[in-house]
Amino acid sequence: MNANKTPDASGRQAQRTGFSFLEHTTDIRMRAAGETLEELFLACLKGMNESLRAGFCDSAQKGDVSRNIHIHSDDTTVLLIDFLSEVLTLTHIEGCLFCELDIQTMSENELKGMVTGTPVDYFDRDVKAVTYHEAEVRLDERGVYETLVIMDV
Amino acid sequence: MCDIMKKPERNDLERVDDYRWQIPSDWHEKMRVPARIYSSERMLDEFLNDRTLSQLIQVAMLPGIVDAAMVMPDGHEGYGFPIGGVAAFDLEEGIISPGGIGYDINCGVRVVLSNTHADEVNTLIPKFTHELTRNIPRGMGRGGKLVLSREELKQVLLHGAGWAVKNGYGLPEDLATTESNGRLPGADPDRISDKAFQRGYDQLGTLGAGNHFVEIDRVDEIVDPKIAEVYGLFPGQLVVMIHTGSRGLGHQTATDYLRRFLAGSSGYGFELPDRELACAPLASEDGKEYLSAMAGAANFAWCNRQMIMWAVRNSWEAVTGRPGDDLQLLYDVAHNIAKVERHNINGRMQELVVHRKGATRAFGRSQSGIPEKYESAGQPVLIPGSMGTWSWILAGADPDTNDAFGSCCHGAGRRLSRTAAKKQVDAPSLKKELETEGITVEAGSWAGLAEEAPLAYKDVTEVVDTVHEAGLARKVARLRPVGVIKG
Repeated sequence: MNANKTPDASGRQAQRTGFSFLEHTTDIRMRAAGETLEELFLACLKGMNESLRAGFCDSAQKGDVSRNIHIHSDDTTVLLIDFLSEVLTLTHIEGCLFCELDIQTMSENELKGMVTGTPVDYFDRDVKAVTYHEAEVRLDERGVYETLVIMDV
Repeated sequence: MCDIMKKPERNDLERVDDYRWQIPSDWHEKMRVPARIYSSERMLDEFLNDRTLSQLIQVAMLPGIVDAAMVMPDGHEGYGFPIGGVAAFDLEEGIISPGGIGYDINCGVRVVLSNTHADEVNTLIPKFTHELTRNIPRGMGRGGKLVLSREELKQVLLHGAGWAVKNGYGLPEDLATTESNGRLPGADPDRISDKAFQRGYDQLGTLGAGNHFVEIDRVDEIVDPKIAEVYGLFPGQLVVMIHTGSRGLGHQTATDYLRRFLAGSSGYGFELPDRELACAPLASEDGKEYLSAMAGAANFAWCNRQMIMWAVRNSWEAVTGRPGDDLQLLYDVAHNIAKVERHNINGRMQELVVHRKGATRAFGRSQSGIPEKYESAGQPVLIPGSMGTWSWILAGADPDTNDAFGSCCHGAGRRLSRTAAKKQVDAPSLKKELETEGITVEAGSWAGLAEEAPLAYKDVTEVVDTVHEAGLARKVARLRPVGVIKG
């Protein structure tokens, strides 16, 4: 799965799917979109990784640090934030950027899959947490899933 | 989730006095108390430009909130609570909210005083700054030389800064001038997850990134000589300010409990205005467990700042040849925390849980819980500015003028987004400009330096003037940075 038209490292606005960064006084406000829920989740993962280290996942060699993920949540919005939080925790613990996501099972409130990461020697910034604030996964009039995500930095 | 349909505008704000503004509780049917803004009239626009006031209004909707939801003059939009937010909750009817504290539990500031005039060591400042970068790891996830065992980390969570002193990383008197003596009671390491432990083993004594820093200052002006004497401040004095928190251990603890509270929210019997305000009743087992976990993370943060101060003392000794123990702790304050405190509500002393998120406790002379040596002055309140402008030492004010549960601002407060700052600032040029002004800067990255440029922040003097005029705290001394290491 790959979201199309993801922005470059300067964060240019996504046209239809992918991610883009919006203004926020202190933290990172990201808009992400995908034609499927899987695409939306992957776009959010890419945006979070871009915030941690710009451009790394575009050029990184295939990683060899794989971790299984299995998350249940009350609804799709919470599932998305819980998923990103889980990967962020792994990022901190393993010192890797998890650029790849292989989804095995996905429903509105469950995600089962594997992330694969590549070790990094430094991060551009400390993303402390992925917040629930303003997040709301919704299907827009074009049939695209979209949401905002605020990351604490 | 409840959605505020309209954003408050200027004419929704009622003037209480020159430095207090209010959105009345009937502005929205779900508000339980008014939303109060401490601000000069000129700075009000800063609050109206982003989502600060919408976030504050949602705080005013939380169960058991007492008196008002408040935001300090350095406030701005955050997530859940606004930054600069203060809210107190009744122990029986109220809640505890990780989003009202922030992910960086007990992020805070300590100021260390030398007995040396800055002119005596002026030529050594660049070397001292560089030595600090060698001795204090910084950057995301960056670990230190000290790697704790699980049992040692448990002891840190239980004893806070006391663990560091007991193990040779400080002086016993350091604890007397740390808020809560560097240890919140009630910490329970068993309430902190394995993931949080994993993120904490190697992070004691590390600065982190973002707006965390160590700043070398000279005392530029004494505003209140009497209190300055009590605090041990004199003109020209070299001092060091440290700003950091509980690192990955605290971030993970907040993440864990927010997720748990959100999953359990339907059982608590109240509607959340925002998922990030997920909370638990203070009287519930969930609420009590978070308080125990938060206390552990707060203790980790106090220990972390103590360890960094130890590195500052070592760096000072290495560069100047003067004893590191000459550096004495003025005070250490938390600005992301919830604490059980007693406050006068309508003439009756009441025990409350006061949430401060980007706000500093500022207790005055008559209040308990401040160091004995400061009882005639009130507690020191430590206000970092931005690296190119002033920082301030204030003194807490008594409850007859401080109507914010003994709280005050915590810094200058951002006014520009990081993106906007990066667009407007060329980091290498900024570094040169600061050096021309006599400020040595060592930054973790150019992007980080640009994001933290002085123009990204409000005018700290106007913020400090506001809390002074509003009676929340009193100005004591102004500091001028001469060396900065940024995370």
